[in-house]
Amino acid sequence: MEEKLEHQFVTNLEKHQNIVHKICRMYTSDRESHNDLFQEITIQLWKAYPQFRGDSKFSTWMYRVALNTAITLYRKSKRDIRTQDYDEVSFKIKTDEYNDETEQQLKLMYKAVKELNDIDKALVFLYLEDQSYREISETLGITEVNARVKMNRIKKSLKNIINP
Amino acid sequence: MDGLEFLKQNWKKQEENLPRLSYEDIYQMIWKRSSSIVKWIFVISIVELLLSTLLSIGLADGNFWADMEEIHLKNFTIGLYVVSYLITFFFIYRFYRNYCKISVTDDAATLMKNIIKTRNTVKIYIAYVLISEGVTAIIVAYFTLKNHTALQDAENVAKYNFEALDWLKFIAAGLLLLGVFLLALWLFYKLIYGILLNRLKRNYKELKKLEF
Repeated sequence: MEEKLEHQFVTNLEKHQNIVHKICRMYTSDRESHNDLFQEITIQLWKAYPQFRGDSKFSTWMYRVALNTAITLYRKSKRDIRTQDYDEVSFKIKTDEYNDETEQQLKLMYKAVKELNDIDKALVFLYLEDQSYREISETLGITEVNARVKMNRIKKSLKNIINP
Repeated sequence: MDGLEFLKQNWKKQEENLPRLSYEDIYQMIWKRSSSIVKWIFVISIVELLLSTLLSIGLADGNFWADMEEIHLKNFTIGLYVVSYLITFFFIYRFYRNYCKISVTDDAATLMKNIIKTRNTVKIYIAYVLISEGVTAIIVAYFTLKNHTALQDAENVAKYNFEALDWLKFIAAGLLLLGVFLLALWLFYKLIYGILLNRLKRNYKELKKLEF
């Protein structure tokens, strides 16, 4: 029974690991911290897995547990210092698809998002992941109206980053 | 198009460049030890509860009760101990209840609120222990001094007579000692919980700000 649960969990996480990696990239600034946070999220997901009833999608459930771990349970280590090489890969896309200017603009935007506070970053992350305002409000424990208002404010503040 | 919309349109395209862990890598990870702040808060809180309970039991040896009898405080002290045990059990129960409520599957605001509540239960208990020990110490000191002439080892009774200035000195020294002790304790707490809880409190404040 336990083995079946383990297998089911690891298979699910392996399939959806991109979500966790994206959260780790948002909340850490070097590779080692990225791996630390990934591990802590995996442990928390596994501990909470028996409570996952399957009435929501595994990925939706993951957003909540993973973000909770990143913004509440995980204690940033002292070595979480931004490194140049990590910044370079922080928002990397296939270069043959885009010209340099587009890629630079995307990196600039990504950098601006990374500089937001933990809560605003979570809000923006869920928005970028195409979560509805209802889902965002349920994940963060705020009202839908407040999630919309805050999101509009953040959008405004980030508006002129690539077209000043 | 504004900046965030532009990023959103291209968001999925970063996925090809994300790290990729194998089934085996993830399987190994689920057996690793957690280093979450909740685990640390739980361990520290249990140590605090145990130490403060042991402190009040440890201080009450045979000599202590004999001394209490001499200064006519035995019944008072027994009453005090019964009340303090009841209060201790109440706090342990509250701590356990609050701790059980902490769930990583709750929304972020509820999770943070429950962690802070659990932490506060222990904080109030520690404050209660300190205040009650302080009050008890003052009462005991008062009765000891009041009864000192009756004690056998007081050879020269006149030497023990306190005048107004002596009382003042005695109270000032007591307050100073208490102040230094509390300051050291406060600094110690600031250090431990500053490391563990600063980020959580800051984020909780941010979330609460969104509600207005």
